[in-house]
Amino acid sequence: MRMTLQEVFKGALAEIASGFRRYPVWVALARESIGDQHRRTTLGPLWLVLNYFLFAGAFVVVFGHRNEIENFPAYVATGLYVWLLMSETINMAVPLFRREANYIKGTTLPLFVYVMRLAMQTVIRGAYSGAGWIVLMLFLVQPSLEQWLMAFAGLAVIVLALPAVITIFALLGAFFPDFEFITGNLVRVGMFLTPIFWIHGNDGGLRQMLYEYNPFTHFLAIVRQPIISGELPVMELVLCLGISAFAWVLAFFLLGALRKKVVFVV
Amino acid sequence: MTVSIKAQSVGLRYRILRPLTLRPKDKRLLKTGGTISGSGRRQHVQALEDVSFELSAGDRLGLVGANGAGKTTLLKMLYGIMEPTSGSLSISGRVDALFNINLGFRPEATGRRNIELRGLINGWTRQQIEEAMPEIIEFSELGDFIDMPFKSYSQGMAARLAFSVATTLTPEILLMDEWIGAGDAAFQKKAGERMNALTGQAGIVVLASHNDKLIRRVCNKVLVLEKGRVKKFAPLEKKRA
Ligand SMILES: Nc1ncnc2c1ncn2[C@@H]1O[C@H](COP(=O)(O)OP(=O)(O)OP(=O)(O)O)[C@@H](O)[C@H]1O
Ligand SMILES: [Mg+2]
Repeated sequence: MRMTLQEVFKGALAEIASGFRRYPVWVALARESIGDQHRRTTLGPLWLVLNYFLFAGAFVVVFGHRNEIENFPAYVATGLYVWLLMSETINMAVPLFRREANYIKGTTLPLFVYVMRLAMQTVIRGAYSGAGWIVLMLFLVQPSLEQWLMAFAGLAVIVLALPAVITIFALLGAFFPDFEFITGNLVRVGMFLTPIFWIHGNDGGLRQMLYEYNPFTHFLAIVRQPIISGELPVMELVLCLGISAFAWVLAFFLLGALRKKVVFVV
Repeated sequence: MTVSIKAQSVGLRYRILRPLTLRPKDKRLLKTGGTISGSGRRQHVQALEDVSFELSAGDRLGLVGANGAGKTTLLKMLYGIMEPTSGSLSISGRVDALFNINLGFRPEATGRRNIELRGLINGWTRQQIEEAMPEIIEFSELGDFIDMPFKSYSQGMAARLAFSVATTLTPEILLMDEWIGAGDAAFQKKAGERMNALTGQAGIVVLASHNDKLIRRVCNKVLVLEKGRVKKFAPLEKKRA
């Protein structure tokens, strides 16, 4: 059965609207998932902060000496914070629908509820490691109120894009099981291809291309630049908003076209 | 608005959407069940075909048929998890369903938390959940186990919890898939009484089962499916004592 564009559009709208309306469900499920992850640990979600400190510390120690990047520890710590937030979300988004197969095959919840559950979960996890990041920044740069506000505006742009990005990756993951391994590898490699601990020297070549054509670069920049240089990265913000808008349009149509088929493939 | 279910020549065709993969093709295929057609990446199973029936308030329908006849598929379609690929289906009434007991429960969460989650999923308000909680716990007879993780329950305990949650805020239409056998005799009796009460209040029950005795005890109509088609749809005469 072919779907008309109108059906796709209506379906996506219904899906997203009822997904938002069922917010008590995704709030509860997000809390449940965070709980599941930490139920047996003594430190609970504090592990998220510790984990972040460990990572940031290791990067600063390993790459920090003889480095001409201005305020290198803050540069790395901020870049790493944003990178971990995004890459962990992608890693969890790909198997999302398969993991929720129990609920998808047994209840009539809209798929968008699961998407929002993961988005919410990311925000909660991000808040924990974010506390660690804030402490580090207070130590390393003492940003002004203005700098904080600009950085948080950058984070807000990322949060706005989350549901769309999760939808796209979760659908791809549901229909193409191999995708999980592809993204798994890309994310691992991406850590080095993304300017978390390096910067390009305007010398052209591969390094500069990796810098400019990697969308993550710009999402890192909208949070990092305000903290490091105190400037609002206007170009980057516009670019990120553009990428987010594109992601939302893509997510919208994919959801409209595929939402009734997911139950058959998970 | 009265509670009713009306299926007109409903069909459901599973597309075997083989996930695109680089793995070599799996040659094993389904042997019993519906009709497989197509080849390569485009295979279909016609799980239901030309199924028509009507149910109204007070009906308790027993769904019977061999493995793969389409019982679960029909229930899932009535619940709204899948849409029919042909024909039309109209349902009026608030539906709740009990499939495979583990579908829709979180193993790590306690029984109590699972009740809350189910309630939220069914669209109950916080207040409704709080009010129903003591009754659900009491009906399930789980006692202190209600604060233990769901994964520590036996099959029958899980069935008790699932049934209690699904029936306490009386749904108008209750769908059940072969599972109630997990409960012990005492609980089955209690559950049977509750199902009767539910249909007494102008509800509908649809129960899929291989257990003839159970169907005879609970149901007043029976729908026999064979390879996805209706073989018989008739009232069930009560066995004389
Ligand atoms: N997800 C699926 N994808 C493809 N085919 C399916 C799927 N689920 C069920 N089928 C097919 O649909 C047909 C009906 O299956 P269904 O589960 O409805 O049978 P059933 O009557 O409930 O059987 P049982 O008594 O074993 O529970 C079977 O041929 C089965 O192989
Ligand atoms: Mg079945």
